[in-house]
This record gives sequence, C-alpha cells and structure tokens, in this order.
Amino acid sequence: MSIARNIAGIAKGMSITFREMLEPTQVENYPDGPGPLRGAKFEQRFRGKHELQRDENGLEKCVACFLCAAACPSNCIFIEAADNTEEKRISSSERYAKTYNIDYNRCIFCGYCVEACPTDAITHGHGFELASLNATNLVMRKEDMLVPVASLTAR
Amino acid sequence: MPDVTFTVDGKKLTAPAGTLLIEACRKAGIEIPAFCYYPGLSLQAACRMCVVRQEKVPKLQTACTTTVAEGQVFTTESPEITQARKATIELLLGNHPLDCPVCDAGGECELQDMTFRYGAGESLYTEAKNHREEQKWSPAVYFDRPRCILCYRCVRMCGEGMDVWALGIANRGSSAIIAPNGGDHLDCEQCGMCIDACPVGALTSDTYRYKTRPWEMNHVSTVCTHCGDGCKVTLGVRQVDDGAEIVRGDNRDKSGINGDFLCAKGRFGFDFVDSKDRLTKPLVRNAAGTLEPVTWEHAIRVVSNKLKEIRDSKTENGGGSSIGVIGSNTGTNEENYLLQKFARTVLGTNNIDHIRTTDYAAFVRAMAGHEHRAASLRDTETAKAILLIGGNPTEEHPLLAWNIRTNFRHNTARLYIATDSPIKLERQARQTLSLPVEGYESLTAFLSGDDSALGEIENAKTFREAVNAEESLLVIFGQEFRGAAIESLVKWGLAKENVKFAYLGDYANSRGAADMGLSPDLLPGYIPVTTPGAFAEEYPNLSTQPGMTAPEMLDAGCRGELAALYIVGSDPVTAYGTDPAALKRAFVVVQDIFLTGTAALADVVLPAASLYEKAGTVTNTFGDIQLVKKAADKAGVKPDFEILVRIAGGMGADVKKLVPFGRGSITVPAVTAPALSVDFVPTPRPIPSLRGIHGDLGQSRGAHSGEADRHAVWLAARGLELRLSPFDPLAALDEIERLVPSYKLDRLNLFAGNDVHSEPGFVPVASLTAPTAAELILPAHDGLFTSGVLGDHTKALVELNSYQESISQPVAEAAAD
Ligand code: SF4
Ligand code: SF4
Ligand code: SF4
Ligand code: SF4
Ligand code: SF4
Ligand code: FES
Repeated sequence: MSIARNIAGIAKGMSITFREMLEPTQVENYPDGPGPLRGAKFEQRFRGKHELQRDENGLEKCVACFLCAAACPSNCIFIEAADNTEEKRISSSERYAKTYNIDYNRCIFCGYCVEACPTDAITHGHGFELASLNATNLVMRKEDMLVPVASLTAR
Repeated sequence: MPDVTFTVDGKKLTAPAGTLLIEACRKAGIEIPAFCYYPGLSLQAACRMCVVRQEKVPKLQTACTTTVAEGQVFTTESPEITQARKATIELLLGNHPLDCPVCDAGGECELQDMTFRYGAGESLYTEAKNHREEQKWSPAVYFDRPRCILCYRCVRMCGEGMDVWALGIANRGSSAIIAPNGGDHLDCEQCGMCIDACPVGALTSDTYRYKTRPWEMNHVSTVCTHCGDGCKVTLGVRQVDDGAEIVRGDNRDKSGINGDFLCAKGRFGFDFVDSKDRLTKPLVRNAAGTLEPVTWEHAIRVVSNKLKEIRDSKTENGGGSSIGVIGSNTGTNEENYLLQKFARTVLGTNNIDHIRTTDYAAFVRAMAGHEHRAASLRDTETAKAILLIGGNPTEEHPLLAWNIRTNFRHNTARLYIATDSPIKLERQARQTLSLPVEGYESLTAFLSGDDSALGEIENAKTFREAVNAEESLLVIFGQEFRGAAIESLVKWGLAKENVKFAYLGDYANSRGAADMGLSPDLLPGYIPVTTPGAFAEEYPNLSTQPGMTAPEMLDAGCRGELAALYIVGSDPVTAYGTDPAALKRAFVVVQDIFLTGTAALADVVLPAASLYEKAGTVTNTFGDIQLVKKAADKAGVKPDFEILVRIAGGMGADVKKLVPFGRGSITVPAVTAPALSVDFVPTPRPIPSLRGIHGDLGQSRGAHSGEADRHAVWLAARGLELRLSPFDPLAALDEIERLVPSYKLDRLNLFAGNDVHSEPGFVPVASLTAPTAAELILPAHDGLFTSGVLGDHTKALVELNSYQESISQPVAEAAAD
C-alpha cells in the first residue's frame, strides 16, 4: 500500500520536472546574450553601482552633507567637503564634495544612502559588474561615479 | 540665600531662593528648551521657548526669568506648552532657509533639535522666503542672516562677556537684524565667542565653514598652545588623505579651567600644524655645507655618535661641560623633565637653560614655605578683590581678563589696577593708579607705608587705603617684576592675611619649563644643584656645579669654548641676537617644528611634533597643571620625548634609568593627592614588591559602550598604571610626582581633564639661595593675534593681525586730527 503511494508521489514529482525540462528557458542568457548588456535584464528598482547626479545646470547635486555616510551601515562612504568659490563652482550650494569615495569591498547595496540624501544626489545605478581581483580597485572615487555632463544634454 | 522647596512636574525640588527656574530644573535633570537664555549672560526673554505653566498664574511664564520661591508649582511639559513651543518654532521657521544639509550648525543646531522634538517642520506660509546673501564680517566671522533667530546671545556675549560691544541690533520689529559695529565689517577682538554662543548656524567661522560636519570629527580636548593661561580647547579633528587634520577649536562643553572661553588664538590659531613650512624630515649638514634630508635612523646616529664622542673626549674642549642644552617654553612638563635629566645624567652637564620669559624662580623662592598663597586661575573668577599690578591681561592673558570681567559682573569684584599705561580692564576697575614706567618697585614700598616712595601721584593715598582695607586680596603682577622686586612685593602681601599671588608669564609651558628644572642652577622643583638632596641618589654622576645660562652658552659657543649645543623647541640665536657665523665651530643640534634662525645654522635638524600632536601635561602661569592629548597627526615628525629617548639610547645610556617603564616601574608616591574626589581615601603605603603586577591588558581594561573603565580609574587614582613603553611620557610624570615637591597630583581629576593646582609652598625654604639675574628675563609680550614663531606660521592669525591693523588705521588718524 505504502509502496504504491510512494511511487505515485515520485511520479508526480518527476512529471513536474520533465514538464519544466521541455519548456523554453527562463533564465537570462548572461553573459552570452545579445546587446551591450550581454543578455542581462534589470528591474527598475535594481540597486547597482551608485551614480552621483548633476542638476539641470550641470552642477553636482551633492552638497557634502555627510548624511549618506552617516546612514551607511557598513561605513563605506568617505567624503571630504570644501566650499565653493565664485571662480570655482562645483555644486549649487555653499559646499561640495571634494572627495567622495565608496568602498565596494564593504557596500552592501542597502540603499540607505539614497534614502538619506536630501538632494537626490546619490542614486543606485544598474552597474553590477564590479568584481575584481584587486581589492583596491573596489574603492570608487567621485570621478568613477559622477554622471558625465554629456549625458545630461543627451537626455 | 535660604533654600526653598517647590514642585516641578510633580517632583519636589530644592534650590536657593532666587535661583532661575531654568537653572534649578537643569540641575535636577529636567530640560527646558531655551534659545535666548545663556548661562552667565543677562536675561533677554526674547524667544519664548522656555515657557512653563505656573499654578495660579493666568499665562505661561518664561522659565529663564522666573525665580523660584517657596511652594510654587510648575508644569514643564503638557499639550498646552508643547503647542506654544511649536507655534514659536513655526514663527521662527517662517523665513528660515532650512538648508540644514549645508549649514555648519546641522547636527548640533538647537533650532534643528527643537524642530525635531516639537514638529512644525512644515510652514503654513505660502510667501516666498526672503533670501539674503551670506556676509563676511571679518577674516574670522561670517554671518548668514536668514538663519538668525534673533536670540541676541551674540550681542550679549560680545558686549557683556567680551566687553567689546561690537555687535548690535539694527532696525526694529520684524526687520530687526544683527549688525556689526563697522557697518559691513567687524572691528573687534575676533575671539569668535559670538560664533560659539549662536544656537544656530547664523554665525560661522572661516576656519570651519563648510569643511565637515560635527559627527564626522573626533573631538579631542587638549590645552591651547599659545599663551600662559592654558585654556582647555576641544579640537575637532578629521581624517584626511595624509593623516589627521584639525578643523575646529572650541570648548562648547564648557569644561575645564576656561568654561566656554577661548580667544582668537585658541579658537582659530591651529593651522600652523599644517603649515607648508613645517619640518617633516630630519636634516643633516653635508660636506657641501647644506642641510640634506636623511632618514631618522641616520640623523639619530649622527647626533648620538657625535655627542658621545664630545662627552667622552678628554681634551680641553671636551667632556660634558662643553655641551650646552637649551629647552623650550612650549614643550610638555615630561619633555622638559626628560631633557634636563638627559643633560644632567647622560651628557653630564649642568649647562641647561631655556629662554626665560618670566622670573618664576624668584617667585617660587618668595613663596616657598607659604602654603595656599599661590592663586589658581580659578581664584580670579571668585576673588572678592583683585589688585593688578602691571601686565595687560586683555592682550596678553585673554582668559584672565575674561575671568576678571565675569567676576566683576557676577560678584561685583573690586578691581584695583596700577600700571604705567592705561589698559582696557580699567573699565571694570574701582580705582586705578598710573605709575611711572620705573615705579613698580616703589609701589611696593608705598603700599607698605613709605609715603614718599611714589612721589606725587594723584589718588595714590586713596588707592592705598582702599587696597589695604580689603579683607582678602588677590595680587596679580606682571613681568615688570623680577628678582628682588618680586620678593619685596610678596613679602608685603604675606604679612597680611588672605592675600594670594599670581605671576603672569608668557607661553603655554614657561612655568613648566622653570618648574621642571631647565635652569643651570636649579633642579626640578627649584632644588639647587649645589644641594641636590634626593636627586643625588636618583641622578648618577650629577655635578653640583651650576652650569652656564643660555646667553652664556651662546657666547661660549661663539668663542669656540662650547663643542656642542643641543636646542629643543626654541630659537636663542634670534632671541639673543647672536651672530650665526660665529657659532660655526660648535656642533649644533636643533629639534623644532619650523626652520628657525637657530635651526638654519644647525648641523642636524630634527623635525618635532607640536603640542597638538603629542601627549603629556603642561602647567599654566598660575601653576595649574593640565593634561595634553594628541589631536593631529603629521607624517615624519616625532615628539621631543621620543627623540630624546632615542638619542640617549643611541649614546648607550640605560634607557630604563632615564624613563622608568616596564616591570617594577611603579612606585607609589609618598604623599597622596590632598583632595581626591572619590569615596575612598588611599593610604600612602609602599608596595614592597610589585612583581605581582603585570600588564593587566584586556579583561577589565578598555571601556565598552560608555561604561566607565573602573579598573583603569582605580589604577590611575593610585598611580599604578603600568608603563609599557619608553616613549610613554606619563612614565616621566610618575617620576616627576615622586621627586618634585610641588607636583603632588590629584590624578583622577587630572586624567578626567580638569586642572590640578601645584603648590609652590611645598618647595623647601632652606634650600633656596641665589636669586636669578633679572636681565635674563625676555618677556614675549604677544598680543591677541601674535604668538612668537608659532603665530608667524599660523595663517589665520597672520590674516587677523593684518586685518585688524588695516581697519584700525583710519580710526587712529581720525583721533589724531
Ligand atoms: S550624496 Fe547626498 S547625502 Fe551624500 S553627502 Fe552628497 S548630498 Fe549628502
Ligand atoms: S540654523 Fe539649524 S535649522 Fe537652520 S539651516 Fe542651519 S542647521 Fe538647519
Ligand atoms: S568675535 Fe568676539 S569680539 Fe568680535 S564680535 Fe564676536 S564676540 Fe565680539
Ligand atoms: S546671530 Fe546667532 S546668536 Fe546672534 S542673534 Fe542671531 S541666532 Fe542669536
Ligand atoms: S591664547 Fe591664552 S587665552 Fe587664548 S585660548 Fe589660548 S590659552 Fe586661552
Ligand atoms: S529662553 Fe526664556 S525666553 Fe528665551
């Protein structure tokens, strides 16, 4: 009696397996897919490498308020602030980030920094190919994350 | 005032009648929010944040102006009060920019905190906000008008606290604004007290503006390196690419000897630390005659080999006595102590001195044996009557001037001033006496009853009568007094009861340099080398022959009679005007932070750490000892202490004899601190064998999550911390405490960051003989923005100095017309 039930159970399980085997594949064909993303697909909400945004005048949005660094649970944001001068204006406010580093050895992509930012200066982009054999490469600097001015005009 | 009992939020509280409710509540741990109330300044009642409900009174009352009386009943938190405070904030925020993310005050702003607490973050106004550009009032002070909440703290701080009255209110009602005295700029003492008092980010300082945020800094409390008052200063230090950098100085926690006071030098004068002129590599003069950067190892080897060779040479121009050592006015006590011990035991010479700015030796000589007669800086804030003879505290001792003003305001202290030229403090004086420049000595004679001593000077007799009628008196005198003049003045005062003395000197640790025995004839604690007492045993091969003074050393060097000069943190060639070429024959070693006139002609230059980059203790001119902590970091430099130990080691000296560290280094001081503020009284007892005490690392050491490190406190109170490193200056402090009679320290207080007064009265009388030569004293007379070599290399101070000079020029001309 119990043997028959066991066989029935196995048969039912395997039927699902075989059925799924014959369906078309659902996973993304990364990295062998087509296009610049080589087959990777993103949901809009995906949290990848950060981007530092610019405002409509091309000035940096970040005002170096350090709130993202304060919010960061893994303590991976390092900022040095400096003040804007008439001759050299970097952000629209009095202060800008002279140095802005994120240490991707430590970042856990929690998105707290994005939430903390009062000026929407930092956002999660979709960059995800961050692996490296050299840990020092994983400390990204402001230049690595800042969106280029050109991308503003292109938009 | 008798104590009264009243009720706050259902709790019975007791306080002296007439105490302000807000103060009584704060003492009891009940916090009442306040914007305009500032302890110590006059009451304003301008902000209405502190409103509370008092029983049987129809309207809400301001806690900052209500004085407590028997039986009153108050409520400090209720929906009604919350609503009132919320409404107040809403009005304040009506035209407030809300730029907290960029505002310097963000994170420590009282308005931000209160908005967070009471809400009202959303404004009901729909009108556009009225924006005004930020104004630069001076190289130190900036004003951002929309952020100002008109609490008038700055106005009162500058007027009452500083007696400068540079800030005022222009216009009325809703267009009232804070305005500087120069219209669009400030002509003032640039102390920055207004910036510190401002509860919001309306007043900001040039040094700190937009650099970082409060929570990103480490806050290190140490001692100001500029004048002889020794303010405790909290340095905000932030991490930068190449070490740690100081970005702010303040004392907002109001702790320590100075409360919240700092002058421009303590608040803004720290950028010398990052000056481009800093020495960062050891330099050795090469065959071509130029100074060449070398490694530390090489430089130390060169110095120790050469010094050893000179000391051991048997020729006429050799031996210890052919080496001269000159110490510093800004190093720590431990370094000074070590330097003279190094000179006396390792080099074997009594040729040790420093550039004396004040005749402390004569002062201590006069005070020896009379306990409780030396005033602490704290006494200047409470003394009922003060006699100030000479000196100009407002310029040269800003903290002393602040204390006297506070004392005058709060306690109506009676101030008597006798100087040869008018000083600003006369505005607080009850009586003044204008002396001839040479008249200071005669003043003592006059005060003691010799009518003819002063000749014909107006009011002299009434002045004397008033001074003599005082029941207690604090006598503060300046560098006009030296040698015998000090002795006779102190003798006059000692004859009366309740007279205390203070002697004003320059530089952060001039007093410490003298106390620690940087003198050719006096050992630490002013023990003469001729009768060394306990030092005979402690210091092997100590010579009892007094050595040369600093000018004598330079002269001997010029004549070629001195084979080597070892100079730490001082510039004698410039100070004494020595011809640099004449010193060519001597081997000159200089340890300093800048390439001074002396360093430029040296054979070896060793880059030293400044006071903000090392630990130890310093003694202010009143004899108050305070702890110095390391704040900044600079690659390449070493503290003088470490350099000396390394050189002694290089010369083959037993480093353990020089700095008692490691096992067996602990000896319990024979006399324990007089007033230990903990609940046990340590009995002085020798611990026969300390073999049982090992480095008790880990375990109970190290405070976790805010818990006090009780084991460490216990060890510190008994002086039992194990010193593990020969470079630990506190190991030398243990020895100082053991050997120097006036340095019996209340360690618990010292390590908690408080000042501990030393007692020159403990110096044995019998041992003091020879008075020092008065002409050796070279007062520095630094003003509000100058500080010797340090000041020249501090950009902020140089800028302030030239700014103040440039704006006061036209005024002087106008007065001359
Ligand atoms: S990214 Fe945003 S939160 Fe971070 S410092 Fe810049 S403005 Fe502030
Ligand atoms: S003053 Fe305070 S509330 Fe106003 S912007 Fe600055 S931090 Fe924010
Ligand atoms: S810096 Fe000092 S003297 Fe100048 S306005 Fe402010 S409080 Fe007054
Ligand atoms: S500047 Fe600051 S201290 Fe002065 S009134 Fe305005 S808010 Fe108060
Ligand atoms: S210079 Fe003197 S008064 Fe000014 S902060 Fe430093 S110790 Fe205090
Ligand atoms: S603190 Fe009482 S009215 Fe401002």
